[in-house]
Amino acid sequence: MEIQPKDFADRDALLAHVRALSPSLSPEDVQVSDTVGGRQVGEKQLAKIDPIAYGHSRNYLGGKVSYLSPYIRHGILSLNEVRNLALKAVPQGEAIKPIEKFIQELAWRDFWQRVYQQNPDWIWHDVEDYKTGFAPDDYSDTLPDDIQTAQTDCAAINYFITTLQTTGYLHNHARMYLAAYIVHWRRVKWQAGARFFLAHLLDGDPASNNLSFQWVASTFSNKPYFFNLENLQKFAHPQAPCEEGDNQALAGSYDQLAARLFPYGVSS
Amino acid sequence: MSDLIWLHEEALRASHPLFSASSAPTQSVFIWDDAYMAAMGYGLKRRVFLYETLLELPVDIYAGDTIETLKALAETSQASRLLTATTPNPQLNDIMGALPLEVTRVAEDAFVEMPNPEGLRRFFKYWNKAKKFAFQPNGTR
Repeated sequence: MEIQPKDFADRDALLAHVRALSPSLSPEDVQVSDTVGGRQVGEKQLAKIDPIAYGHSRNYLGGKVSYLSPYIRHGILSLNEVRNLALKAVPQGEAIKPIEKFIQELAWRDFWQRVYQQNPDWIWHDVEDYKTGFAPDDYSDTLPDDIQTAQTDCAAINYFITTLQTTGYLHNHARMYLAAYIVHWRRVKWQAGARFFLAHLLDGDPASNNLSFQWVASTFSNKPYFFNLENLQKFAHPQAPCEEGDNQALAGSYDQLAARLFPYGVSS
Repeated sequence: MSDLIWLHEEALRASHPLFSASSAPTQSVFIWDDAYMAAMGYGLKRRVFLYETLLELPVDIYAGDTIETLKALAETSQASRLLTATTPNPQLNDIMGALPLEVTRVAEDAFVEMPNPEGLRRFFKYWNKAKKFAFQPNGTR
């Protein structure tokens, strides 16, 4: 058995080696992220965290998020060390309220892993019934081509898809928008959306990704998650193209959209 | 007793407790298993990220089927035990269960030092317990 090399002339050489070791990859899968793996880069990213700014800006696409998720996902950074550093953002003895949301976001990762440990079979199966008025068979098994190619009739959704495919990262709010669009606007099974995300996200984790998809779909929550254009414009502008004329399917009040997306009513 | 350390994709750092759990390590390895990565749905982006991460780690990288490669390495190095990181991932746990070796799982540093509440389902039920630990260094009360 041969030990694989660790010295490469450049990233292209490493890329060629990874491809040679990966015959299962599709020839069309050619995109590499600008995000580089490894502890050194992870530590640099860790040094930049601003848990207080995160607390009040995290829901905005331009908010002060940490970008640590790929490093945490693969154990390159531990939740414990990230939390321990975040605690230093507030002087000892002072209220921890300003960093509560940051710590809570780390706790979400711990929560998903614990759920996964207890129920590994929940990852690909509906935990509960849909509360959307539809049965599982009403949802398509496959992702439509226009989603895979970022050619839907919503410019913001296309932007999220392209960002996912090129960078391997999406802001959490953008993940929720895109997941809701796939499941509720296009009535596609959450599993198809989850597979699409896992194929592209550097931080894609079966527990966090799939159980969050189930939370959006309502098979692991009390009601379906959906949004409207007004919400998108508040949180995703100016990063995503949010003009109404380019996103008409997303426009309307929550009541109007609920009537359109869930015509049989939402159950609980 | 000599140990073969198997680093899998969920524990990719040299400071993981796994590396200090053995007094007699023979070799530390990562198995690049194309079929496993395909089953996990990993595309090129993820695979490059993982390989880049491995470059900095004190492990030898081998390519092949994980079970067969680990069996062969254990035989070559005459390891009697395999040390690896605890994971909820059933595919990795199935691999551990299929190995004809004693397997010791080493846990990650805990985020909160509390047992898993039974019947976990909604986040805030977990959070109401976890928040008593989560704001303390090392997650201890």
